Amino acid sequence: MKETLKAVLSHIRESVKNTGKGFYVFVGILIIVITWAFINYAQIFITGHGMSGLSDVVPWGLYISFLAFFIGASAGATIIGLLIYGFRQDDYKPMGTRAILLALVCIFGATQFVMADVGVPWRALKVPFLLRNVTSMFFISSTSYFIFMALLSAELYYAIKVTFGIGGEKAKKMAKWLGILAVPFALFVVHTFTGTIFGVVKAREFWNTPLLPIHFITSALASGFAIVILIAIITSKLKKREIVSQKTFNHMGLLLGAFLTATLFLDLTDYLIVLYSGTAEGMETWHILSERYAPLLSLNIIGMIIAIIILMFKKGRTVPGLFISSLLTIVAIMAYRINLISVGQLVPLYPEMGTLHYVPSVPEISVALGIVALMVLLYMIFAKILPMEKTVTGLADKGV
Amino acid sequence: MDKLTRRQLIKLSALAGAGALLPQQLHAFTQFLEKIPGYQKKPTVVPPPIKGFRFGMVIDLGLCIGCRRCSYGCKLENSVPDTISPPYIMVFETNPRRFTSGHPNLEKFKHKKRLMYTRLRKDKIYMPVQCNHCKDPPCAKVCPTKATYKDADGIVMVNYDKCIGCRYCMAACPYNARRFNWWEPDIPPEKVNPLVPVRPHGVVEKCTFCVHRTRLGDTTRCVEVCPNKARIFGNLNDPDSEVSKLIGSEVNFRLKEGLNTGPQIWYLTQQKRKPMKWYEPLPPPKNVRGVSP
Repeated sequence: MKETLKAVLSHIRESVKNTGKGFYVFVGILIIVITWAFINYAQIFITGHGMSGLSDVVPWGLYISFLAFFIGASAGATIIGLLIYGFRQDDYKPMGTRAILLALVCIFGATQFVMADVGVPWRALKVPFLLRNVTSMFFISSTSYFIFMALLSAELYYAIKVTFGIGGEKAKKMAKWLGILAVPFALFVVHTFTGTIFGVVKAREFWNTPLLPIHFITSALASGFAIVILIAIITSKLKKREIVSQKTFNHMGLLLGAFLTATLFLDLTDYLIVLYSGTAEGMETWHILSERYAPLLSLNIIGMIIAIIILMFKKGRTVPGLFISSLLTIVAIMAYRINLISVGQLVPLYPEMGTLHYVPSVPEISVALGIVALMVLLYMIFAKILPMEKTVTGLADKGV
Repeated sequence: MDKLTRRQLIKLSALAGAGALLPQQLHAFTQFLEKIPGYQKKPTVVPPPIKGFRFGMVIDLGLCIGCRRCSYGCKLENSVPDTISPPYIMVFETNPRRFTSGHPNLEKFKHKKRLMYTRLRKDKIYMPVQCNHCKDPPCAKVCPTKATYKDADGIVMVNYDKCIGCRYCMAACPYNARRFNWWEPDIPPEKVNPLVPVRPHGVVEKCTFCVHRTRLGDTTRCVEVCPNKARIFGNLNDPDSEVSKLIGSEVNFRLKEGLNTGPQIWYLTQQKRKPMKWYEPLPPPKNVRGVSP
C-alpha cells in the first residue's frame, strides 16, 4: 500500500508539471457547469421536486433515463478487462486502466442521478444497509452498485500496482482475475437487475417484457464500448500519439458493430411486438412512439443503422468513422433509454385520463448536465494523476 | 500462504471491526441528518389493525352521479394540500360507449349487457377510482425500504418515516393511486385534520381507507359524504356484512383483474336501486400536473 502511494505521489508531481493550459481551462468550464447544477439542485431541495417536469402520472424522467444509460456504460466498459485478460488481446492494454476508471466514474455518476431523483436522499443512503426489502429490484440493484464500486476500486488498485511494477506476480494475478470477474458481475448482476427494475412492472406494458434485461445487456455493451472508443480517439489526439494501433481500432469497430446489431435486432423486435399486439396499451404505446416521440425513435433506429453501415466497411473502421459511429451509438442508446422510460409511463393507465406529457424542466436538465460534467471532471483528474499505461511514466524502469 | 505477521493481524482485525460497526455508524449518521431543521416530523401514529377484519369497498356505478363529493371530502379528511393534484379519488366522466369499448381489462363489463345507466344522466357514466388496497400490492413488492406495506386488515399503508421518495411504487401501481409531495405542503393550519398529520415534501402518500376512522369502528369519509350511497364499506371476512352480500349477489367487476393484484374495491354494474337525487357536480381538479385537458 505504502509503496503504491509513494509511486502515485511521484507520478502526480510529474504529471502536474507536464499539464498544459488547456486542461485547466476545460476544468474551469466544467466547474462552472457543476456549480450551476449544484445551485439548481439545492433550490430543488429547498423549494420542492415540483421544479422538475415530473408529475404524479409520470413519476420517472430524465434522471432515471440517465441512470440506466450510465449504469449500462459502466457495465459495458468492463468488457475491456475480459478482452485483455480473458482473450489475451494485448493490444487493448493501454485502454485497460482507462476502462476501469471509466466504469468507476460512470457507476458513481449513476448513483448521483438516484440521489438527485429521490425525495429524501439522506434516507436513501440507508437502503442497502438498514432499510431493505429483498423483493424490491431497487434494493437488489442498489446493493449490487455498492459491491460493483468496491470491485472496480480493487481492480483499479491492482491495475495501478501492475503499471508501476509493484507487487510482482500476486498483483498481476489479482488484476487478471478481478478484471475477468467484473464482467459477469457487471452484465449479469448490475445491469440485468437494472433492466429488471422496469421488466417486473406489470402495470406498464412497454416495460413488462422478459427481453428487457437482455436488451439492457446488449445496449450496455454497445454504449460502454462506444465511450471507450471515444476515449481512445480523444486521448490519442491530445497526447499526439496513437495509444492503440490501427489494427486494434479495426477490431474495436467490429465488436461495436456486433453489439449494435444485437441491440438493433432487439429494438426492432420490441417495437414490432408492441405494434403487433393490438392491445389498447400496445396501440397507445405505438401511437406515442410514432407521433410525439418520432424524433427520438428515428434517432434510435436510424442512428444505429447508420453506425452499423459505417462499421461494415473497412474504411469506416478507421479513426473518423469510428468517431462518428461511436457518437451515433451513444446518442441512439440515450434516445432508446429516454423512449423506454418516458413512453412506458406516458401510456395512460385509465383510457379516460386524457393525454399525458412529460417535458424535463430547465433545473432538471441543468442537474443532469452537471452530473455528466462531474463525471467528465472526475475522469480527467484521475486519468491525469493516476498512471494509465506503462510507457507514460517509466517509473517502473526507474525502480521507484 | 505466508504466515500472518502481528502487524497484519492487527490491521485485519481493525478492518473487520470497522466493517462490523459500519451499519451502526451509518445509522447514527442518518439519524443525525434527520434532525436537520425543516425535516423534523412527528412519527406517524396510526391505530393498530383490528383482528379478524378485512376491509373492502363496493362502488355502485349505477348510483354514482359523478358529483365528486367523495373526492373533495377525502381531500379535507386527509389534510391533502392543493399542491397534490389529482386528489386521491379521481372521478372519470365518460360516455358509456367509450367506457365499455377498447379497454381490455373491462371485457367482463362489456359482455354483461345488463348494465344500466343512471336515470339522471342517461348519456354519461361516472367512474371513481382510487387506491384499491390490493391483496398482492405491486407497490409493496417494489418498495426498497418496506415503507409501503400491507397490514393485517388488508389496508395498504405508507410509513412516511421510511419512505425515501424513489417513486418506484408510483411507477409500479397499475391504478395511478399514489401521490408524491412535489412541494413543501402549504396547507393552512385550520384546514389540517389533527388526526392526520401533513406529510413532508419528498414522500409518497395515498388513500388509507381513512385508517384513523375505520380502525376505530367508523366508516370512511368518502362513504359518509356520498349523497346517493353509491359507496358501501365493510368487513369482507364477515359473510353477513353488506359488502360481502353485494359482492355475492350482484354483477360486479374489479379494475384490471388480469394483473392478478386482487383489488379490494368492487364495482357493481347492475343497477338495482335508483339514485335518489340529483346533486350539482363539483368541478374536476384543475391544472393536473402532467395531464393535458
